[in-house]
Amino acid sequence: MTLPIHSLVAGGYEIGLVVAVGIGFAFGFVLERAGFGRATTLAAQFYGTNMTVFKVMFGAIATAMTGLMVASGLGLVDLRALSEMAASTTYLWPMLVGGLLLGAGFITSGYCPGTSMVSAASGNLDGLVTFGGVVVGTMIYGEVQPLVAGFHNSGDLGQLFLYDLIGVPPAALAAAVVAMAIGGFFLAEKLERVFTRRFKGEDLAEAPRRPRRWAFATLGTLTVVGLGTLLVPVGSTASASALESARIEQADFARRLLDEPWSMRIVDLRDRKACSEQRIPGSECVPLAELGKLNLQYAPANRDLVLLSDGALSAAPAPALQFKGRTYLLSDGWAGWRRYALEEPKAPSADAPEAARRAYRFQAALHQAMTGAAPPPPPPAAVKSFVPPKKHKGGGCG
Amino acid sequence: MTEEKKFANPYLMGIALGLVLLASFLIMGKGLGASGAANRMGVAAIDTVAPGHVTANAYLAANKAGGKSPLDNWYVFELLGVFLGGAVSAYAAGRLKRGIVRGPRASIRFRLVAAFAGGAIMGVGARLARGCTSGQALSGGALLSVGSWVFMLAVFAGGYAMAYFVRRQWL
Repeated sequence: MTLPIHSLVAGGYEIGLVVAVGIGFAFGFVLERAGFGRATTLAAQFYGTNMTVFKVMFGAIATAMTGLMVASGLGLVDLRALSEMAASTTYLWPMLVGGLLLGAGFITSGYCPGTSMVSAASGNLDGLVTFGGVVVGTMIYGEVQPLVAGFHNSGDLGQLFLYDLIGVPPAALAAAVVAMAIGGFFLAEKLERVFTRRFKGEDLAEAPRRPRRWAFATLGTLTVVGLGTLLVPVGSTASASALESARIEQADFARRLLDEPWSMRIVDLRDRKACSEQRIPGSECVPLAELGKLNLQYAPANRDLVLLSDGALSAAPAPALQFKGRTYLLSDGWAGWRRYALEEPKAPSADAPEAARRAYRFQAALHQAMTGAAPPPPPPAAVKSFVPPKKHKGGGCG
Repeated sequence: MTEEKKFANPYLMGIALGLVLLASFLIMGKGLGASGAANRMGVAAIDTVAPGHVTANAYLAANKAGGKSPLDNWYVFELLGVFLGGAVSAYAAGRLKRGIVRGPRASIRFRLVAAFAGGAIMGVGARLARGCTSGQALSGGALLSVGSWVFMLAVFAGGYAMAYFVRRQWL
């Protein structure tokens, strides 16, 4: 998996903020071009005279969705890992009520939070006032949140995606959504003509057909390519190395655990009691006897499998051999992890080589993160102190 | 005054917006957003006046976890970009000018009161739903998240249900 760009997500916070301004710039630019800086354009969606909101929104969803299917089909990105990182957990009831409120506020103010910013940027006072209202509204909710916390967390379905709910491959569901979107576009155009006649008493000029044809062709191509990737056998490139399981050293494992936890599936084979008492963050407790139940032969091969037991594993257990991706055995298993991460590391002497001092600083930071221990004594030599890579929580609207 | 350019074709803009969102997913592993940043601006404002008040409320205090400023956040910078992008696009199209967008029958005062009230209702709704039209409906929708699709359908339902009552403002 080459995307998202791990160095940006995990470590390059400052560069990430520059990227944020760039992506936001493109977002604001496109919204303004579409006419979303004008409340009248947006409000017309709800009277049926101009369905630009629907067209832009579903066009964007269809494009990004099918684009992701293609990228994931080509092995550029792990769809599930990305989705779990970027989408919020489903809380059914607050999302339903929040949506109804947002829709009511949308038609009352004429904007949604993002477009009110675009409107303000193009000089409209009503957009600025709406954005001020949004800020005040979020603060009102912040004040009452402790009182409604129960409702705020109700209907928790976890990370749930439509393709899991229906039980079809993501690319197939994406194709169905695109088909519905295109059907919706034709319906929207028909409705626009009807409601323009009713509310404005005039006939709507025929929309140019060429851009529409071009856009639909793009969506269709992305959909077909996305579906086509379903025919490519999963993990065909990884299967060559599937049978030989490599040993992974504690230091390399720990660094990966901090930098790119989504790239590994960690399975703890110790007995359930020991595992549930204390385990590596993000690992699954699956006693050795139950490993077969994971059906690893069908598991997506794009996350490496890391196995650990009490001590060193001499070879991968039989069910793991069917896994199509890469399998690692954690060196010295849980005993090794306890020594490396949970016991306080010994500081190297001041004349130790730079590499040893750097390894110590990492280990000390890891020890602190895993145990909540007090910060370790300063490193022996006066060199730049080690800053552990920052981790960011993903989330929809942040 | 220069002639205003017409708005672009909605289908092409849909594709363009989808590509921006796709780029955000692929580069940063994040979607687009707006209300989260608005929330952080509010927290930052309260934090300046009464820091103790923010600390006392765990829900608000989460925005300054680790002693960071509430504004030290990816989505705040992204929203700054939205403002810049919107301004540059409006300027280039000859649409950058001061004004108040309103329907033919709405007074200025009514329009501004409705704008503020509608904004506040959206602020509450967006926090309740953990995102707004950008973060939930658009980004979560493209990821096919169940909660995001529920939210999106609810937004349209809420809008159409309310449209009759505020028609004086728009028609």
